[in-house]
Amino acid sequence: MRKTPVIGAVAAAAALTLAGCAGGSTGGDAAESLNICYVTAAESHAYVTPANKAFDEAAAAAGATVNRLSQEFDVQKGTDQLTTCVSQGADGIVLWPLDPQAYIPGMIAAKDAGIPLIIINSPMDAAAEEYYDSFTGPDVYEEGELSGEALNEVLGGTGKVVIIAGQAGNGTTIGRTDGFTDKLKELGSSIEVLQVVNADFDQQKALEASRDLITRFGDDIDGVYANDDTMALGFIDAWLESGRSADSLPPIVGINGQVQAFDLIRAGQYYATIVQSPAEDGKLAAETIIKLIKGESVDKRLPIPLTVVTSENVESVDPAF
Amino acid sequence: MNAVRRAFDSDVFLGIVRYRVAIILVATVVISASLVPGILEFRALSLSLDRIGTTALVAVGLTLVLITGKLDLSGGAILALSGIAAIGLQEQFGQVPAALIGLAVGVAAGVVNGILVVVLQINSLVATLASMLFFRALCHFLTDSRPFSGLDPLFGLAVSRPIGGTFTLRTILFVALLVLVHLWLTRAVAGRNLFAVGSNAASAEASGIRSNGYVFGTFVFAGFTAGAAGVIQSLSVNTGSPVFGESTSLLAIAAVVIGGTRLEGGRGSALGTLGGLLVLAILTTAMEFSNIPAYTQSIVTGVILLLLILLDRFVSGKKGRDLSLTALLRSVRANRRHPENERTLAP
Amino acid sequence: MTINIETVSTDRVVKQGFLSRYGTTLAMPLGILMLLVVGAFLSDRFLTIGNLTNVLINMSIVGIIVVGMTFVFVSRGMADLSVPATVAVGGILVLMLDDVIGTWPAALVGVLIAAIAGVVNGLLIGYAGLNPVITTLASGTIVLGIAQAFVGGVIVYGQDPGAKEFLTGRLFGVVPVIVLIFLIVALLGHLALSRSVFGRWTYAVGSNPHATEASAVPVRLVKAGAFVMTATLAGFSGVLLGISLQAARPAIGAGYEFDAITAVVVGGVSLLGGSGSIPRAIGGLLFVQLLTNILVLQGVPSEPQGMVKGALIAGAVALDVYLRRRGGRE
Repeated sequence: MRKTPVIGAVAAAAALTLAGCAGGSTGGDAAESLNICYVTAAESHAYVTPANKAFDEAAAAAGATVNRLSQEFDVQKGTDQLTTCVSQGADGIVLWPLDPQAYIPGMIAAKDAGIPLIIINSPMDAAAEEYYDSFTGPDVYEEGELSGEALNEVLGGTGKVVIIAGQAGNGTTIGRTDGFTDKLKELGSSIEVLQVVNADFDQQKALEASRDLITRFGDDIDGVYANDDTMALGFIDAWLESGRSADSLPPIVGINGQVQAFDLIRAGQYYATIVQSPAEDGKLAAETIIKLIKGESVDKRLPIPLTVVTSENVESVDPAF
Repeated sequence: MNAVRRAFDSDVFLGIVRYRVAIILVATVVISASLVPGILEFRALSLSLDRIGTTALVAVGLTLVLITGKLDLSGGAILALSGIAAIGLQEQFGQVPAALIGLAVGVAAGVVNGILVVVLQINSLVATLASMLFFRALCHFLTDSRPFSGLDPLFGLAVSRPIGGTFTLRTILFVALLVLVHLWLTRAVAGRNLFAVGSNAASAEASGIRSNGYVFGTFVFAGFTAGAAGVIQSLSVNTGSPVFGESTSLLAIAAVVIGGTRLEGGRGSALGTLGGLLVLAILTTAMEFSNIPAYTQSIVTGVILLLLILLDRFVSGKKGRDLSLTALLRSVRANRRHPENERTLAP
Repeated sequence: MTINIETVSTDRVVKQGFLSRYGTTLAMPLGILMLLVVGAFLSDRFLTIGNLTNVLINMSIVGIIVVGMTFVFVSRGMADLSVPATVAVGGILVLMLDDVIGTWPAALVGVLIAAIAGVVNGLLIGYAGLNPVITTLASGTIVLGIAQAFVGGVIVYGQDPGAKEFLTGRLFGVVPVIVLIFLIVALLGHLALSRSVFGRWTYAVGSNPHATEASAVPVRLVKAGAFVMTATLAGFSGVLLGISLQAARPAIGAGYEFDAITAVVVGGVSLLGGSGSIPRAIGGLLFVQLLTNILVLQGVPSEPQGMVKGALIAGAVALDVYLRRRGGRE
């Protein structure tokens, strides 16, 4: 059995020798094509997938190649992938932060390496601001405020609501939820928040969390605020599953402007959603990073437009996706 | 059919199987090098090792647990809990003391596992499943399901920064630990006793080895290494999170098994675990460099794992054959001279 | 030289205490009863038809998987960790094909492919003798990866809301369809395990594989069969899950394997094989679900509930070990 470590050492030595031989080729592609490393939130998600697609299209149109790494909503993986981007010697990095500051060490490394870095869609803490060149995406706090206004309006300023929030610790969740609660306070509303549950922007998890909410509060729920339409759909599933009818659904306010939300607004089961185009999100990020790589300067904050949609304007606005 | 069977029976084939870890490692390196330009750059190699650092620390402890024939699924949860302690207590106790408390949390968790398996005699799969659920839920409870940050993002930077342009602190730590464990397993009496406990705890007990003590000790050690992994991970991103380490346990088990340590106990090697970790590390980095999606990586990892345990089954069925390298070379040379006689060497 | 011979008691009738004889059988029903009382006391919503029906609905999907997992446990197959993958296969395939060949044929395809994965597991574990934990771990990773690659890693949406309505609806307005399906599966599973030849073989293989090998029982087939069954049932529950959600993402089955193992263990089915039954496992599932329900009604957030579950598993197994010792069965 003593031979095995020797074999292992020989193997390692062989590997390193190969490294020496192959080490001549420097990493990365030929100089003409720009190489973007894009650390995205997920591969399969109702909002993220079209954003990724738009990103790829915009990058391809500018002649850049994209190496896309998916965090699958795992912050730990994302921080590792950011380091991969830096050590791969990418020309530019686009990061979708799932946490307000866990990526800072990686961003510092990117800065040291002189690689331009922007964040897409979700905000980060103020402490992170010096480490990224631009933030493209929606104003999630404003979305929360608009939702607060909408729900307050439809409930007439009073009632009990539940909040189905996104991934805990995610900048989007924090912005959308805080905006909502702050606005209610500002309006002097007597709406009471029964409970806040986290459903990770996922329909299935929202279904399971909603089952618990409905079990606990049942018909006491006067209104629902979901951080995104996908999770709101989960709530509706849970409501119907509990044997209640679609007509008895409490007014729901969601965000993202999904097709299903539009249909539900028309059917009267949904009160409002906010259109936020994933295609614009992805496209703007791709264009911004390419500008930065080419040495142009960009604004620190590049927002994408938002539109509140209710039954009044549901016919005149297009769904986001 | 006989020719096929003879092929499987030949010394060369069994030799390949015997040294499968080293061979898989070399194969992985070669294939990655040819498919992914730049993977063999030193920077990329150093990155690969650091990437696997967290899993590696958990895998060290797990190796010992597996050698005794037990399983530990709670590594990832202990990792998260220790990280939360290390970051969360920074304000109260200061950064270094908080990190030490995090390590202590890992040890304490290992003690809990030890009590469940040794004292309460609960099967280790079920016991560590229970402790995994418990610790993970505790993490969520303590943090209200939210990740939170520590005092200073730059403090932990030292952990994941290459020292002097070579390897990171994390990498040096786990390699050193693995080498130490390997020496202990092969040289120290206590280390060799561990194998005895794993093969047959009852007969080990009969020969005067306190099996229960050893098993308990390995769980405490596994808790310690998971705690260390958690503290270092959390410090490196300055974040304590209840969801860290969710896939770490299973990845660590894969690395340990790829490295040749058997789940049934009694056989294993810390260097083998190192080999398994290297394979996974290079695979992960190579796939990320070439934009291969995560699910393809899963398929490759799963196939390697399956292949290795299948091959492992082969070796265990061929006891009594001398498969050392010198014997193999002798046999190959002999076959070349007399191709009609396929000589098998007596032990 | 004197030889010491230890005298062994020659009493042919050994009196066993009530506790040791009936302890393991009564523990579960008593536990459930206790929960019902505690729950009713803590919340007036608890003992309502609506709430209890919801508990049953919530446990149906896992319940189907539990039936398979019980066979794995009883045959000493340890555990099947490939459940998330086979659930995903069922869910993804049924939704991918529902507009191509219709929902119910698509469901059949989903179950079939999951069964094939189970056959692979069975061959590797039953016939090649590999360790079940690692094998199902590896095969699950591979199958899930293939399923994800198949759909290009995106979410699959269903096109058949009619099927969803049927599945999530109620028969005669009272009995939820999904609970009915679960009960039928559980009944069939129970009959198979307790009455059929295959069931008897399963117990034999689990309690003493070496002795059984000497007999005419096809040990490897039985061991393999348990895994084929679990994969098929998991695929089936994945199909049901997919239809009722009309959306399937690859992680759709995440966590179900541990939920099923929890239920089986709490129900008192031993990991070492040879004992236990479907009703016991379902009892364990019911216990866990009721406990969860009580916690939810009390407002305990879902993640920290795990602390109770973890303690419960440890407690249940420790209790089982203790009662077995008292009863003289090791």
